[in-house]
Amino acid sequence: MIHYEQFTLDNGLEVYVHEDHTTPMAAVNILYNVGSRDEDENRTGFAHLFEHLMFGGSQHIPAYDAPLQKVGGENNAFTSPDITNYYITLPSVNLETAFWLESDRMMSLSFDPKVLEVQRKVVIEEFKQRYLNQPYGDVWLKLRPLAYQVHPYRWATIGKEISHIENATLDDVRAFFYKYYLPNNAILVVAGDVTLPQVKALTEKWFGPIAAGPQYVRRLPREPRQTEARFLETEAKVPLNALFKTYHIPARFDADYTAADLLSDVLGRGKSARLYQKLLKQRSLFAGINASMPPALEPGMLIVQGTINAGVTLEEANAAVEEVLQELAENGVAESELAKVKNQAESTLVFSEIELLNRAMSLAYAANAGNANWVNQETAKIVNVTTQQVQQMAQTVLAKQNCSTLFYRAVN
Amino acid sequence: MPHTNTNMQLNRTIAPDFQTVQSVHFPAATHLLLDNGMPLYVINLGQQPVVRLEIVFEAGTWSETVAGSSFFTLKMLSEGTKSHTSAQISERFDEIGAFIDLSHSADRANLTVYGLTKHLEAILQLAQELLNEATFPENEFDTLKNVSLQNLRVNLEKNSYLATIKFRQLLFGNAHPYGRSQNEADISKLTTQHLRDFYEQSIQNQPFKVFLSGQIAQKETDLVNQYLGKQAINLTPKPAPQHQRTPPTTTSFVAEKPDAVQSSLRLGRPLFTRQHPDFYPFMVCNEVLGGYFGSRLVKNIREEKGLTYGISSGLSLLRRDGFWTVSADVKKESVELVFDEIFQEIAELQRNLVPEDELETVKNYLSGEFAGALNTPFEIADRVRLMALENLPLDFYTQHIASLRAVSAEQIRTMAQKYWQSADLLRVVV
Repeated sequence: MIHYEQFTLDNGLEVYVHEDHTTPMAAVNILYNVGSRDEDENRTGFAHLFEHLMFGGSQHIPAYDAPLQKVGGENNAFTSPDITNYYITLPSVNLETAFWLESDRMMSLSFDPKVLEVQRKVVIEEFKQRYLNQPYGDVWLKLRPLAYQVHPYRWATIGKEISHIENATLDDVRAFFYKYYLPNNAILVVAGDVTLPQVKALTEKWFGPIAAGPQYVRRLPREPRQTEARFLETEAKVPLNALFKTYHIPARFDADYTAADLLSDVLGRGKSARLYQKLLKQRSLFAGINASMPPALEPGMLIVQGTINAGVTLEEANAAVEEVLQELAENGVAESELAKVKNQAESTLVFSEIELLNRAMSLAYAANAGNANWVNQETAKIVNVTTQQVQQMAQTVLAKQNCSTLFYRAVN
Repeated sequence: MPHTNTNMQLNRTIAPDFQTVQSVHFPAATHLLLDNGMPLYVINLGQQPVVRLEIVFEAGTWSETVAGSSFFTLKMLSEGTKSHTSAQISERFDEIGAFIDLSHSADRANLTVYGLTKHLEAILQLAQELLNEATFPENEFDTLKNVSLQNLRVNLEKNSYLATIKFRQLLFGNAHPYGRSQNEADISKLTTQHLRDFYEQSIQNQPFKVFLSGQIAQKETDLVNQYLGKQAINLTPKPAPQHQRTPPTTTSFVAEKPDAVQSSLRLGRPLFTRQHPDFYPFMVCNEVLGGYFGSRLVKNIREEKGLTYGISSGLSLLRRDGFWTVSADVKKESVELVFDEIFQEIAELQRNLVPEDELETVKNYLSGEFAGALNTPFEIADRVRLMALENLPLDFYTQHIASLRAVSAEQIRTMAQKYWQSADLLRVVV
């Protein structure tokens, strides 16, 4: 249970306060309601590049990191297809420093051309380090456009290609800032050794003067229902063949999302899961196999991925996976098997609330999606899922026409 | 017109007042002895009904006589016992929502289980079964070997992995436990007999230390005693194996891959253990150079020149030795430039005193980071474990902030001169 209080400034900034006086620290989390899904398809990777620029100095403060380090604080940020999230932890006695820094960069950036030039290079090196210079590192660059044909989830957050990052201009940066980095397009969560009156006063003082902007209305194309199986084959210098299969699933806060989540766990979470036991342990087809669902606020993906043992063909491995999925769709799950994945999920939830910063992020994520209190309803949702719902979900989601398959072939 | 008056007075160019963290409360662990004399450290903290049980053996690579036997023995503990198959063991952990982690290092072997406190008894039963009754089934070993070989092949395609293992190998020598890494030949030669031998010699009925953290009451410590405290322990002292470091025979190793778009680089040297008097001065010195995001290396090589996504330097302190490393993945054609810049930053620290303001920032940052990393029972337990295993004084972490604050700019310059002579530094580029 994460308790919280909420208020909204006149400029539209939504603020959540989670008090926890067992720690001497405070966590300050600002979520901006913009991600790579909001990008122009010819300028992908921009939301993430922009995240880097947020550390390059703001209107009144030449450098973001140093003043925070000076008061014993740490910070970082991430960009996803849905959101851009910035977070600070610092000794709670220095809470005001976080307000000073965050409000100034929400008010206006420095728009220094040198910052853009350097961070463009840094991001290109990040692109290479994480996506090009790793075995299987480019798989998301291939898989997303296969699974999505219309919706902007079809490109990865890092961007479709390096040239998009190379071509970004300072005008793009300005336009992006004034469109999305508005108090009325953000959620602020302040957690830890803080009080509601203190946070109210600091928020009014530092964020109150920032002007609201035109409300961003998201109008993204809907991904049409997939009606036939898709297939792509690629090859690269990797040691083992690998198989990737993605299936469309309900959006994160849809009523039937939890059933899909538990379905994914039955298939591929941990060593007692079906895919691991049947295909790695019993049949020795795979060297690793799991199923997972990357977080997505709009209809997302369930992904089965595995690396295949030498001597086993991609075709055999694929057929074996399909057999396991089909069996699940046909025969469903036993009560005991569902109880097991429920216990795993509940336990994970409890563990996720240990860290203060995680609690702050979960609140921001749910608040941005529609209701902060959804964080406190997860356990009930898990408990209420029935074996019938899981089987029904298996039949819908694991259908062949809902699947995109990628054969990642190893070549020398 | 709300807020107008106050807002007109708000000067955003001036940072708010702040306080430095001068000390932190480091919660005391309760140190108990189980009935069989094995130590139990209890860290009872936190708001969530969770527990972490950690059982530590002196059974790392250091203790093995057959390469790979300690790693595979540990990983095989959950692959079959006298009463349960591998699948049943996985099932039993998963059905109570517990997570087992069998982690292995050069010095030690740890069996760790995370779970809800209400399931501690089931967790203890399982843990004890793994430590007493492992059977090392052939078929499960074949599967594990295969999976490990395949994973190794994937890792061997990663520049950063290759650079790290090559660096350690050159620093310590191929035969030294801190220098050797997994290889196909060693894995292929291993048999279940090797694992059974290692199990009997280093785990089964061997001394251990237990660390229990989370929401813990008397009932929970009693349970630990009821299970792990009843275990027979062979206390016959065994001679600790000796391993000598082979000094590096080269100061530079380069193996760039023609088709890679980046190179992974390492620069470093052997160091010392935590007990060394230079520990605090060197730690702060390292922080200035490359220990945090405001460090000189990050500022120069990432934030000014954009040559890398990340560069950092750090201390790796093991039980009997240590080493120091700078690491980065950089554009291939920038490798020499990056090395030049690293050496220039080092030379600057050897020549001039760190300015007061920068040193203050580093100390404040380190103090705040330390205070921020003591907020969960598991984080506290990690530090307690380190003190217990490395024989550090019990007030080590209580004194931590005072110790790092006492470091002077002169000491930092001395450290840079003493440890960063270019002839003593090994470079690896992959």
